[in-house]
Amino acid sequence: MTDRRPKIVGFCCEKHGADAAVLAARSGKHIDASVRLVQVPCTGRIDGIHLLSALEEGADAVFVLGCLEKNCYYDTGSIEGRKRVGYVKQVLAEAGIEKERVEMFNAASTNAWAFPEAAAKMVEVAKRLGPIGGGEK
Amino acid sequence: MKAMVQVVLCRCCIEVSKLLDMERLQKVASESNNVVSTVAVDAVCDGRNLAPVMAEAKLKEVDRAVVLACHKKDISPAVVKAYRRAGVNEYLVEFVNIREEVVLPHMGDHESAQKKAETKLRAAISRAVLLSPLEKLTEQMATRNVVIIGAGVAGQAAASEAARTGAHTILLEKTGRSLKAPGVILPHSQVVGAKGYGGNFTLRIRAGEKSEDLGAAAVVVATGGGWTSLRGPLAKAVKDAMPLYRFYEVLLSGSPPNGPVVIVDTPDPVGKTVRVQDYAWDETLETVIELKKKHPDTLVTVVFQEMRAFGLSELAYKEAADIGVRFVRYDRNGSPKVDPKQPNTLTVKDLSLGEVLSIRFGTLVFASIPPNEDNKLLADALRISMTADGGTRRGSIQRWPVTTPKPGVFVCGSALFPKSKAEAKVEGQAAGAMAGAFVMRGVVEYGGVVAEVTQDKCSACLTCVRTCPYEAPFIGTASKAEIRIQACQGCGMCVGICPSKAIELRNYTDEQIMTETRTLLGGDF
Ligand SMILES: Cc1cc2nc3c(=O)[nH]c(=O)nc-3n(C[C@H](O)[C@H](O)[C@H](O)COP(=O)(O)OP(=O)(O)OC[C@H]3O[C@@H](n4cnc5c(N)ncnc54)[C@H](O)[C@@H]3O)c2cc1C
Ligand code: SF4
Ligand code: SF4
Repeated sequence: MTDRRPKIVGFCCEKHGADAAVLAARSGKHIDASVRLVQVPCTGRIDGIHLLSALEEGADAVFVLGCLEKNCYYDTGSIEGRKRVGYVKQVLAEAGIEKERVEMFNAASTNAWAFPEAAAKMVEVAKRLGPIGGGEK
Repeated sequence: MKAMVQVVLCRCCIEVSKLLDMERLQKVASESNNVVSTVAVDAVCDGRNLAPVMAEAKLKEVDRAVVLACHKKDISPAVVKAYRRAGVNEYLVEFVNIREEVVLPHMGDHESAQKKAETKLRAAISRAVLLSPLEKLTEQMATRNVVIIGAGVAGQAAASEAARTGAHTILLEKTGRSLKAPGVILPHSQVVGAKGYGGNFTLRIRAGEKSEDLGAAAVVVATGGGWTSLRGPLAKAVKDAMPLYRFYEVLLSGSPPNGPVVIVDTPDPVGKTVRVQDYAWDETLETVIELKKKHPDTLVTVVFQEMRAFGLSELAYKEAADIGVRFVRYDRNGSPKVDPKQPNTLTVKDLSLGEVLSIRFGTLVFASIPPNEDNKLLADALRISMTADGGTRRGSIQRWPVTTPKPGVFVCGSALFPKSKAEAKVEGQAAGAMAGAFVMRGVVEYGGVVAEVTQDKCSACLTCVRTCPYEAPFIGTASKAEIRIQACQGCGMCVGICPSKAIELRNYTDEQIMTETRTLLGGDF
């Protein structure tokens, strides 16, 4: 059980989110290999169902990585993204699941540390909480 | 029809570090359903290596591709172009950034890196299979007009620069000030409304008593700051207070300042109307040093909330303090006041000392100036956003500094926030050049990844209309939502928010996103 590698999915936007992840890699930052990214054009595209179904499919934690709110490529996209994350947190809380399993992060494409920090935080959460409901998924 | 996928593996990205096992990746690819061709190339970024890949693509009649290489932004233009020539639709080429998502961050962890790479490959194939071919369309721009609102330093610079690109410039100036600029100059005119999207706007103009419509391919906002309206309690209490630049002019003219000088950041210390600008501090420091050098006996006090001297200007801060300029920091709880009955004494609570000071002055100067009140009218007319402190808001820095979030609308000079003439001019030139280049393309490109409404599901709730930052959705003649695709930027914000799930973003449907996620999670971790 202790060795179990957590499963973490991050949804990142193609703009600042993806660029921040690329910059982190180019700056030599180490990321836990259990973190895997899915790209969407903008975090405003994220729907609660994407996050919930990822948790249902076995992710221990899910996060969204978008542009800084005042510097979003699509103006208000990452603000919308944050709202969807908030909505999912509420759904989880109602279902008795820890709402820290879902988180929103913002990054500028010049932030080499934003993505590694987000990833590390989610790995910590996933390790601390273990699989949802304590199961073996 | 069965999808025919070609998988391209870039050796340079995958193998160079010896972290990943190329043969195993090739095996995963060739064993996947729908994959009809797997090729490894030395470096996809070298165009010469693409020719054999495309020959194979044609031979195997592939209709889509998954490319494992590095950052999509860096390699996609060349790869997509090659595929287009080989008859593969550009929206069917899927990129996996194996270098920056797997190789670089997982150095030294061979096993997990390999698992992750294989899973990412499978997920990309699962996504590629579901993609649909899309087209980019074009619409002619009706005019080559760059309409510049405001004919100050920035506006005039924008006009000259836009004219150089061959665009037709029209300068709208609210006042009747005389000026020299290329193109048409409309004095006493203002924009009161706007329709359309970048490339084809129709502006509603009020010129003098008349109102008329004006076609514009691009718009440059250059309305400046609210110089004429020094507002706020301090400006009201001290009739002869002046902005920093005016004071600087007085100083340069050689006449000694009238009594002790106090420079306060803003005429409205507790209000929200003024942003304390970075620029103002550099110039404030420059001014006080000059002042002290010319008139060493003058008492000089700078009263501020936050000193943000840029870079080496920090040294000027030190220099000013050394030659006897007094700096007083305050916060909102002890902001500076002038009793109108005693219009030459400023009281302020010094944050560092914790005591209330009474500072007598002969000259009161403001370092920052209010934003132009017209910003609000223009923001409403053009439907662009504003900053919390009343300036015009720029778009994301990835759209470049003189843009607004709205394609085709540019902004420069003090309309953004107060700045020096020199900076306003450079920004004006940049905005003019960008607007000119934009209209000289002559066509609006649109389509590709855009939103689409299934009208049967739409309940005409207007949520999408309110959410979209680009005004692409509207309620059409069928009383259902429609997307004006020329305006749609493909962000997908309307999709997630539609309560009836009536909108889809092409190639980012729920099914496509969730299939990719599922495959990612299904693989080894
Ligand atoms: C008294 C004073 C002295 C200054 N001296 C200096 C100096 O010595 N050195 C320096 O570097 N900077 C100086 N500045 C600052 C400098 O003028 C500005 O930073 C610079 O002019 C900004 O350029 P701009 O084109 O953005 O705005 P502005 O030059 O202010 O031009 C804006 C123009 O837009 C017009 N306008 C406004 N609203 C509308 C509307 N709704 N529709 C149509 N037109 C509109 C205005 O009438 C104006 O002509 C001074 C400012 C003041 C107030
Ligand atoms: S949000 Fe959905 S239901 Fe509402 S108007 Fe738009 S498409 Fe129709
Ligand atoms: S995808 Fe974005 S730009 Fe297009 S209509 Fe929806 S919200 Fe507007």
